[in-house]
Amino acid sequence: MQVRLTINGQPHELDVAPHRSLADVLRTDLAMTGTKVACAEGTCGSCTVLLDGRAVLSCLTFASACDSSKVATVEGSTPLLERLRDAFTAHDGFQCGFCTPGQLMSAVALLQRTPRPSRAEIRTAMAGNLCRCGAYEGIEQAVAAAAEAG
Amino acid sequence: MTAKLVKTEAVVEGRTEVRWTLVEEDDTPEFEDGAPTRPVGEPTPRISARARTTGSARYTVDVALPGLLEAVVLRSPHANARVTSLDLDAARAVPGVRCVLGPGEGPEHAGSPLTDAPAFAGAAIAVVAADTPDAAEAGVAALAPEYEVLGFVSTIDDGFEKQDFLEEPTEHVRGDPDAALSAAEVTVEASYAVPAQLHNSLEPHAAVADWREDGLTVWSSTQAIFDARSTIADAFGLEPDQVRIICEFMGGGFGSKFGVGPQGLLAAELSRRARRPVRLVNSRREENLAAGFRTPAKMDYTIGASRDGRLEAVEATAMIGMGTGGWPFPVLEPVKSVYACPNLRLMTAPVRMNLGPSAAFRAPGVMEGTFGFEQALDELAEKVGIDPIEIRRLNHTENDPESGKPYTSKGLLKAYERAAELAGWEGRDGLRGDGRVRRGMGVASQYWWGAGGPPAYAEVRIGKSARPTVTVGLQDLGTGTMTACAVIASERLGIPAGEITVHAGDTSRIGHGPASGGSMTLASIAPAVRMAAHSVRTDILGLAADMFEIAASDLTLEDGEIRSVDGTLREPVTEVTGKLGNAWISGSGSRGPNPDGMNVNTFGCQIAQIAVDTGTGAVTVERVVAVHDIGRVVNPMGARSQVMGGVLQAIGFALMEERVVDPTTGTVVNAGLEDYKVPTIADVPEVVCEFVGDPDPHLRMGVKGLGEPPIIPTAAAIGNALAHALGVRLREAPYTPRRVLEALGA
Ligand code: FES
Ligand code: FES
Repeated sequence: MQVRLTINGQPHELDVAPHRSLADVLRTDLAMTGTKVACAEGTCGSCTVLLDGRAVLSCLTFASACDSSKVATVEGSTPLLERLRDAFTAHDGFQCGFCTPGQLMSAVALLQRTPRPSRAEIRTAMAGNLCRCGAYEGIEQAVAAAAEAG
Repeated sequence: MTAKLVKTEAVVEGRTEVRWTLVEEDDTPEFEDGAPTRPVGEPTPRISARARTTGSARYTVDVALPGLLEAVVLRSPHANARVTSLDLDAARAVPGVRCVLGPGEGPEHAGSPLTDAPAFAGAAIAVVAADTPDAAEAGVAALAPEYEVLGFVSTIDDGFEKQDFLEEPTEHVRGDPDAALSAAEVTVEASYAVPAQLHNSLEPHAAVADWREDGLTVWSSTQAIFDARSTIADAFGLEPDQVRIICEFMGGGFGSKFGVGPQGLLAAELSRRARRPVRLVNSRREENLAAGFRTPAKMDYTIGASRDGRLEAVEATAMIGMGTGGWPFPVLEPVKSVYACPNLRLMTAPVRMNLGPSAAFRAPGVMEGTFGFEQALDELAEKVGIDPIEIRRLNHTENDPESGKPYTSKGLLKAYERAAELAGWEGRDGLRGDGRVRRGMGVASQYWWGAGGPPAYAEVRIGKSARPTVTVGLQDLGTGTMTACAVIASERLGIPAGEITVHAGDTSRIGHGPASGGSMTLASIAPAVRMAAHSVRTDILGLAADMFEIAASDLTLEDGEIRSVDGTLREPVTEVTGKLGNAWISGSGSRGPNPDGMNVNTFGCQIAQIAVDTGTGAVTVERVVAVHDIGRVVNPMGARSQVMGGVLQAIGFALMEERVVDPTTGTVVNAGLEDYKVPTIADVPEVVCEFVGDPDPHLRMGVKGLGEPPIIPTAAAIGNALAHALGVRLREAPYTPRRVLEALGA
C-alpha cells in the first residue's frame, strides 16, 4: 500500500504491507531506530510517537492506517523536545535510556496538552511508560522542570 | 612501566575466584585528606545523554546490516515434552527462508541451544533465519511440530518431594548449632517464601552476528563483552582475536545478560551457514519464559538467642526453585555474614523444576535471603522486647564472622545511626494510627561484596585539540560507568568530563575490562582509569615544564588550563597539546590486586515507611531512607539513580512482582507486561539517600561497588514495616492486597 507520512516535518512516501506496524516501518524501512520496541504488544510505552499530535503506541498502530498523517518521533527537533532533552539530562531521567524515546514523546504530548501539569498529572500521563531501570524520579522532575522553563 | 603477574582473589556474587593478572606499577598519588577531588564526588550528568535523548544511541536491537536476516525461534508450548515430528524441510521451502537449524544443531564445539526434549515451556527447539521477520515466522509455522507431552514439576515442593536437585544440597556448619539451640534461652521459628521475579530489561536479549572470512563480529546485548568473546571463540574453534564483540549501548540487564547467551550462539551459527548477517531478538514473552529469573525460594529459620537478644545459634534451610539451569545463589549468606553468631547450620537445596533456567538478578540470593532473615530477626526482637535497630547493633560484628578476617572498612553502625535520624525512627510508634489506614516503619541491614578486582585496563589519550579519550574494556548497561570513567579522568586532566569521550563496549579496542555485575565494575576500573589519566597528566606537565621553564611539580591542570601553583602562569592546555601535530600523548593503567587477608564488603541500612489500607489491602511505600557505605562516591548523581533503581525493583518484588505458573499445565501465565506488574512512575516513594562510607583506605581510590546494595534491604524493610503497621506478619511475598486481606482475616 502507498502511504504518505510527514515525519518530523519531512514528507515520506512508502510502500508498506497493510499488516505492518508504524514502529516496524519507522525502524526498518526508514532506519529511524530511535523509536524502541520493548514488548510489541502495547504494554510498555517504549514505542510512543505522536500521531497528529496525539501520543500513540506505534507497535499497535498500522502504518497503513496513518496515510496523510503527521508523525513526530524522538529524532525530531522542536523547542519543547529540546527543553525536555536538557531537563532529562540535568535530572538524570534515564539510566540505560531504552525507555527514554517513549518517555520523551509522552512528555511532549502531555506538555502540549497541559503546559503546566501538576505532579499528579505528570504521574498519570507518564504511568504508561515503563522504566525498568527505575529512573522515574528524574523523569518526573525533568517533565516538571521543562514545563517550568516553557 | 614494568608489568608483573600477580595472583589475586575477587568475589563475584559470593563466589571467590582466584586469578592471575598482569598489572603495572602504579605511582598515581592517592587523594589527600581534605584536598579537592573535583569533579570526583560532584554530581555529573551522563556523558551519553545526547545520544540517549535524540534516539541516535545504537542498541543491539537497532543494528541493521546490508543483507540482514531475521531469525525466529520455535519454542515449546509444553512444560515437558518430546518432539515427535518436526518438518525442517517444509520450513526451508518457505520463500525467503535462508537457513533453518533443528534440535542438536549449533556451533561445532558447544552444546546445541536447540533440543527435541524441551524441559520447560519456552525451550528452544528450532530456529529459522529469513529475509524478513514475516518469512521467518512463516518458516516457523511450517515446522508443524508434534509433541508427546510428559509430566512436569512446577513447584518447589513437588521438586523436593521427587528429590530432583539441580546440584546436590549443601550443608554448612559453624560451631555446635544443636547444643547451642537446645541451650538457648529464647528461640524463634520463622518461615518466609518469595516468588520468581522476572528481569524484564526493556531491551530484550539480542544478538546480531556477521560471519566473514576474516573473522566474526557479534553485536550482543551483554553485561560481559570479554566473556561473550571467549564463549563464542570456544564454541566455533576460533582464536579470541578472530572474534569481536560490540555492545555500544545496552538497555538493561540486571544480571540476566552475562555472556552471549543462546541468541549469540545461534545468530553466529546461522550467519556462518547462510553467509549473511543475522539478527536474533527475543520477544517480551520469550524473554520471560527463557531468559532467566530470580529464583523463588522457601526459607525456614530457627533462631536461638539469649534473653537480651544476642544470637547464639541459627539453623536455616533454603529450598531454591532453580528451573532447568543456572547456579544456586547464596540465599543464606545474610545468616552467615551479617551478624556475629557462633553456631550455625545452613542447608541449601537447589530444586529442579520444569521452568526456564534461572539467572542472576541484582543481588541474587542475598536479596531474597535478606528478605527472610531480616524479618526473622525482627521477630526475635519483638520476642525479647528490644528495638529492631538495637538488636542489630547488639549483634554487630567488626570481623567477618566466618573467617575472622577484618573488613577493609565498615560503615554499618554509622548507617544505622544516620538512617534512624533521617527516618525519624524514634517516633515510629506514633505513626501507626487506628483508622482504616495504618502506618508502619521497618528496618533492614544490607551486606554485599563490591571490591571488584583485576584484570581491568584503561587507556587515556590526548591529542592536539585537548579533547581526551578514555578507552576501557567494559560495557555500560545503564549504570553510568562510562560517565564515572570520564569523571575520574577529568580530575587528573583538568578537563571537564563532558569534553571527554569514553570508548567502551568493543573487545577490539583494548584488553580485558570487568563484567557489569556483582557491583564490581566501577570498583575494578576506577583505579585503572585514574592511573592512565595520571600518566597523561605527568607527560603534559613535563612538556609544560620545559616550555614554560617552571618545575613540573609546581604546575597543575585545572579547567582546561596549565597553572602554576603560585598563580603566575595560566595557559590553555592546548598551548602544549597544540604542538603535538598528529601525535598524541597516551597513558595506560591497570587495576592492582585487592589487599591480602581482608574482606572488602559494602554495608547499609534502609528504613521503609508504609501505609496500608486495611479496607482494600493495598500497601503504599511512602518513604524509604537508604544509607549505604560504598566507599568513595565518584558521581553522586549516578549513585542516587542507582539507589532509586534498586529500591524500586525491590518495591516491585515486595508488593507486586510474581511469576505465576499454571499448576495444571506448568506454563507461565503472566509472561507479558500486562499481567506481570512492574512498578510505574505512580509507585515511586520519597527516597532519602545518603552515603556514609569513607573512602576505603585499603583500596586504590577507595571506591566500592553500588549496583546491588540498594536493592538488598528494601523488601525486608517493607515487610518489617507492614508487620509494624498491622501487628501480623505476612510470610509470602509479594504483599498483594489479597494476601494482606487474608492476613487480616478479612
Ligand atoms: S513496544 Fe509498544 S507498547 Fe511496548
Ligand atoms: S532508563 Fe532503562 S528502562 Fe528506563
